[in-house]
Amino acid sequence: MYRYDEFDHGFVAQRVSQFRDQVARRLTGEISEDAFKPLRLMNGVYLQLHAYMLRVAIPYGTLNSRQMRKLAHIARTYDRGYGHFTTRQNIQYNWPALSDMPAILEELAEVEMHAIQTSGNCIRNVTADHFAGAAADEVADPRPYAEILRQWSSVHPEFSFLPRKFKIAVTASERDRAAIQVHDIGLQLKKDGEGGLGFAVWIAGGQGRTPILAKKIKDFLPEEDLLSYTTAIMRVYNLHGRRDNKYKARIKILVHETGVEQLTSEIDAEWAHLKDGELKLPAADIAAINAYFAPRELDARAEGWKELAAWKKSDPGFATWVGRNVAPHRHPDYGMVTISLKPIGGIPGDASADQMDAVAKLALEFGHDEIRVTHEQNLVLPHVALADLEPLYRALLAEGLATANAGLITDIIACPGLDYCALANARSIPVAQEISNRFGDPARQAEIGDLKIKISGCINACGHHHVGHIGILGVEKKGAELYQISLGGSGDENASIGQITGPGFEPDQVTDAIETIVETYLSQRTDADETFIACYRRIGADPFKAALYGSESQAA
Amino acid sequence: MKTAPFKTKVLTANRLSDGISVWLGAHGEWVVSIKDAFLARHEDAVTAIETAGKQALADNRVVDVNVIDVEETSAGPRPFRLRERIRAEGPSIDYAPVATARVSQAA
Amino acid sequence: MTVIWTKDGIVESDPWIEGDAEQGPKLLSLADALAHAQDNAPFGVVLQPADDVTALAPILDRVAIVALSFPAFNDGRGFSQAALLRQRLGYTGELRAVGAVLLDQVPLMLRTGFDSFEVSHAPTIARLTENRLPGIDLHYQPSADSTDAGQGYSWRRTARANG
Repeated sequence: MYRYDEFDHGFVAQRVSQFRDQVARRLTGEISEDAFKPLRLMNGVYLQLHAYMLRVAIPYGTLNSRQMRKLAHIARTYDRGYGHFTTRQNIQYNWPALSDMPAILEELAEVEMHAIQTSGNCIRNVTADHFAGAAADEVADPRPYAEILRQWSSVHPEFSFLPRKFKIAVTASERDRAAIQVHDIGLQLKKDGEGGLGFAVWIAGGQGRTPILAKKIKDFLPEEDLLSYTTAIMRVYNLHGRRDNKYKARIKILVHETGVEQLTSEIDAEWAHLKDGELKLPAADIAAINAYFAPRELDARAEGWKELAAWKKSDPGFATWVGRNVAPHRHPDYGMVTISLKPIGGIPGDASADQMDAVAKLALEFGHDEIRVTHEQNLVLPHVALADLEPLYRALLAEGLATANAGLITDIIACPGLDYCALANARSIPVAQEISNRFGDPARQAEIGDLKIKISGCINACGHHHVGHIGILGVEKKGAELYQISLGGSGDENASIGQITGPGFEPDQVTDAIETIVETYLSQRTDADETFIACYRRIGADPFKAALYGSESQAA
Repeated sequence: MKTAPFKTKVLTANRLSDGISVWLGAHGEWVVSIKDAFLARHEDAVTAIETAGKQALADNRVVDVNVIDVEETSAGPRPFRLRERIRAEGPSIDYAPVATARVSQAA
Repeated sequence: MTVIWTKDGIVESDPWIEGDAEQGPKLLSLADALAHAQDNAPFGVVLQPADDVTALAPILDRVAIVALSFPAFNDGRGFSQAALLRQRLGYTGELRAVGAVLLDQVPLMLRTGFDSFEVSHAPTIARLTENRLPGIDLHYQPSADSTDAGQGYSWRRTARANG
């Protein structure tokens, strides 16, 4: 993974001093809350319902054990012993004091981390496929390009006061695990006919109040043009994105209102000026950043095959866990292990400091010192020998981290919701917990198969409800919580936006409604191989609506 | 013309230094439990707590200052809005994995 | 009190400051500037965020000062306008930020090509007067300011001590 050089250390140290000065000016009253708010947001500090919240950047979701231990230490020292991993591959602390923020940032800087641009109307933490560098199906590791974008976008003087936040995601596989079609810019690393690397460029996807899938505006952008082309997009957006209404300020609305052809031609016209300028990436620089992400030398561990078969036979729980949470690695003797942060009835994405320390230790012992955070709010050890799976499993089991539910109905994405968030209209976590408890039986989950439930506590859609196979959106109606259910969303390479089923459900009706939807699927699927989303796409929404609201509702 | 019955009000905010939810007490101090909040039972009292809130904001002691409606119950004031109940009672879920909660400092 | 600040300090009796006496040169809107470009009197131009800066190209050599307006601190169009003026149009004259300018934006504005600032917030004036800018002198991207390259990767820049 990337390691800071002297320049990076110097930059982050200066950024910490800068924020220390800003906090000091606020605490002494030299600047008002109105003036301070954009400054604190630019460094990931929110004011939530109970306290401040700090969102720490985990660039493209990659961590080493030392960094994870530091995150645990911060949770223990400055917070209440836990943290929350987010859908943007970051971590949030729910209780830090403003006066402690400079000290926390200083601690983070020690392990090459920061909170730069984890909020604010700027280019946010760049996300990537959580299996990058390990997946068998990728063209090349997408993270070097995410790192180049991270550096270039950090404290960008021209793009720090955009109309609205701006999110970039990078993937390198046909199977999209980074949800690039719901990002402001989605980049898919690919090769041209001559084997040169470049990107298919998608823009203007997003969720929120107006969910829109991205449009592909470039089939192949050579890698050397990454920064010049991105600058062209950003400049056109900065100058022309709407600023009169924050709900219409994202680039998706600009593209929607201007037309994708027109906007693409404006971007290309701007790019013509920039293309051969100082932003062109020299091959040597691309190679130097790539070198940090060179594929790991993995020893042959063929003994794992035989051992694995024997272990699976003797322990069905282990076999289930391997079946659900271990995916094939590019090296046949290895697997990519998902550590579920979705214990049955638990809080999606939360991890205690002790659990973080345990994961750090296991990453060092079995995982070549590498950890990933997924946008589905789980952790991943991307390089684990099959021969090490059994001891890893035992250790995870002891920490409550061996839930065998990756991709199943209880692997629920949920935003913090009204339990923490100042923007929320309804709670998300209790809804997730009740569904998880209802469907917690492993046999039942296995029978249902792949099914993604995603829950947001407000229209901002941090819980990605628009792209859930089943999406749940909490709203406030007449002072009470109400939940709208949508079906058929998907955030992968076959992206789609879910459609609302009909009237919302009261809190104590939601889990029953989910059960009705699941039972309808089970009764309608052709066989166990037809997944929920495939079945929904075949039969449409009507059978589900009829089951939820009665057949007369279809006339309406 | 029928006027809506007066609802008791309290003043709430978050402390500047640590962001912890606080309510205005009877002696102008900021308290960490809504049970200790001053109850404004008539318009003049509401005006008084609003003034106190503006002053505390201007003095950079608190942020996000709001007057909220509460119901007076035997267990103490209970906000009508769920959001404010959650602010008063903490997250509605069993969130903290270990009992290492920091002791909040006074404002 | 509203003052004009540049890297050389507070400017005494700046002729372009808004709301001053009737006599003296004026800051014209884009439309007026284009219409009066042939007049002899020296003039400056003040652009609003929605104005297309490239429209100034034909008359830029006659303009004494360009002011870019920030009606609100979070309206960041002026940053791109400044970069275009400096880098695309090659404007070398005075480029002023007017309106809602926060202290913490000044370093970013300097990077995008601004060299004078209209400020009225007293603590901001104090900090600027003491030349205590809350900036970072290591940059991850080239911009319109004069910086040094050569810090490992092509996109990196460092501030010049006297830049």
